Amino acid sequence: MKLNTALKLGRNAVIVLAIIIVSGWLAFVPSAKASSYTFVTAWGEKGSAPGQFNDPTGIAVAGDEVFVSDSRNGRIQVFDLDGHFKRRFGMPGKDPGQLGRPMNLAIHRGELYVAEYFNDRIQVFSLDGQSRRLIGKSGNGPGEFNAPGGVAVASNGDLFVADFYSHRIQQLKSDGGFVRQWGITGETGHGAGAFIYPTDVALDRNDMLYVADGYANRIQVFDTAGKPVNKWGGPFAVGIPGPLNGWFRVVTGIAFGPQGDLFAADFYNNRLQKFRADGTFLTSFGGEGTGPGQFNHTIAAAVADDGTVFAVDFGNNRVQKWRQVKD
Amino acid sequence: MKRILQICVLAIALTLGMAPAVAAPQTYKLHVDGLSCPFCAYGIEKKLGSVKGVQRIDVDIASGAVAVTMAEGATLDEAAAKKAVKEAGFSLRKFEQLQSAPQGASAGPAK
Repeated sequence: MKLNTALKLGRNAVIVLAIIIVSGWLAFVPSAKASSYTFVTAWGEKGSAPGQFNDPTGIAVAGDEVFVSDSRNGRIQVFDLDGHFKRRFGMPGKDPGQLGRPMNLAIHRGELYVAEYFNDRIQVFSLDGQSRRLIGKSGNGPGEFNAPGGVAVASNGDLFVADFYSHRIQQLKSDGGFVRQWGITGETGHGAGAFIYPTDVALDRNDMLYVADGYANRIQVFDTAGKPVNKWGGPFAVGIPGPLNGWFRVVTGIAFGPQGDLFAADFYNNRLQKFRADGTFLTSFGGEGTGPGQFNHTIAAAVADDGTVFAVDFGNNRVQKWRQVKD
Repeated sequence: MKRILQICVLAIALTLGMAPAVAAPQTYKLHVDGLSCPFCAYGIEKKLGSVKGVQRIDVDIASGAVAVTMAEGATLDEAAAKKAVKEAGFSLRKFEQLQSAPQGASAGPAK
C-alpha cells in the first residue's frame, strides 16, 4: 500500500513537473510565425583598404546604398546593395569630418547620423560625406554624452540617443537642445524605463521609441508621451539572457523593416531576430561560425526598401546580405 | 685658461658619456573580467586613454587582456588603472608590468 502511494505521488510529481516545463516553454519560448531568411552574399575582411573593415559596428541603408561604420578605421564606407565599394569618408580624430569609433548609424532626410563613442557626440554628414554639424559633447549633463552607441531621428527632426555609459536615452532638438530623458543618469535598473548599457534606438512610423537595452537583454518601447508601453526579451523581460527564441544575449542594434517589423542584432547568440512591432517573435537566422550565413557576433542590421536585410558580422569583419524565403 | 677649458670639455664629455639611456616606454598588461564586446573594449580603451601618460592601448577581446604602453618616462599607477577599468564597468583581475618596450618600437597614439 505504501509502495503504491509512493508510486502515485512520484507519478503525479512527474506529471506536474512536465506540465510546468511545457507551460514554461509555451509561455517563454515562442515558435516562429514567419518564413525565415536565406543567405545571399557577404563582403569584407580585416584590413584598412577600401572594402576591408577593422571592427564594423553599425549599418544603415538609403535607397541603393549601404553605409557601414568601420569603427577602428575611423571611417564610414559606402557600398551598393551587392557589396561593391563606392566611397569612404572620415578618418580617426576629433575634428569635424573625423570620427572617434563610429557606432550605430541612422539616415534621415538625406543625412547620415553617426554616434561617435570616443568623441561623445553625434556627427551629421551629407550622404556624400560632408560633415554638416556636431551635436553634444562629453559629460553626464543634459545634452551631453558618455559614449553614445546609437541614434534615431523623429519625423520632427528630434534626436534620440542611446547614452551607453550614462544608462539613459536622451531626446534632443535638432540643434542639440535637451528635451527629456529616460533612465536615471549613471544608474542601471531592471524596471520599465531603466536601462543597463543601452546600445541603440529606433523609431517606428508613429515615432514610438524602441530601445535596445543592451545588457538588460531586452527591448523596451515608449509611446510619444514617453510612457513605457512594452518590453520583451526572456522571462518577464527582466534581464535574463538566453539562446531561445525571443531571448537575447546582449542586443546591440535594432532596425525597422519596410513592413514595420523590428530586427534585432543578438550579439552573443550570433543571430538576427525579427519581431512584430508588438514584440511577437517572427523568426531568427544566423548561427556561430565563419562560413556563409554564420556570424562571429552579430552587432547591427539595416533593411532595404525591398526587405533585403544587411547584417554586420563584427568578428568576421564583414557585412552579410540576406533575403526572406518566399512561402 | 686653457686648463679650465680642458676641464670643462672633459666634464661635459664625461656627463654625456655617463648619462643614462633614455627611458624606454613602460608597458603593462591588465587582465579584465567580462571583456568581450566592442562596447566593452572601446569603453576600456576610452577610460584608460584618458589616464595621463598612456600612449597606446591594445585590447584582446577574446582573452580579456589589455596591453597599455606609456609615453617615455611615464608609468601607470595600478590604482589609476583600477579606477579607469571600474569606470568602464569592469573589474581589474590582474595588473602586470611587462619588460620595457625596445627603444624605437612603434608606439602610436591610443586608437
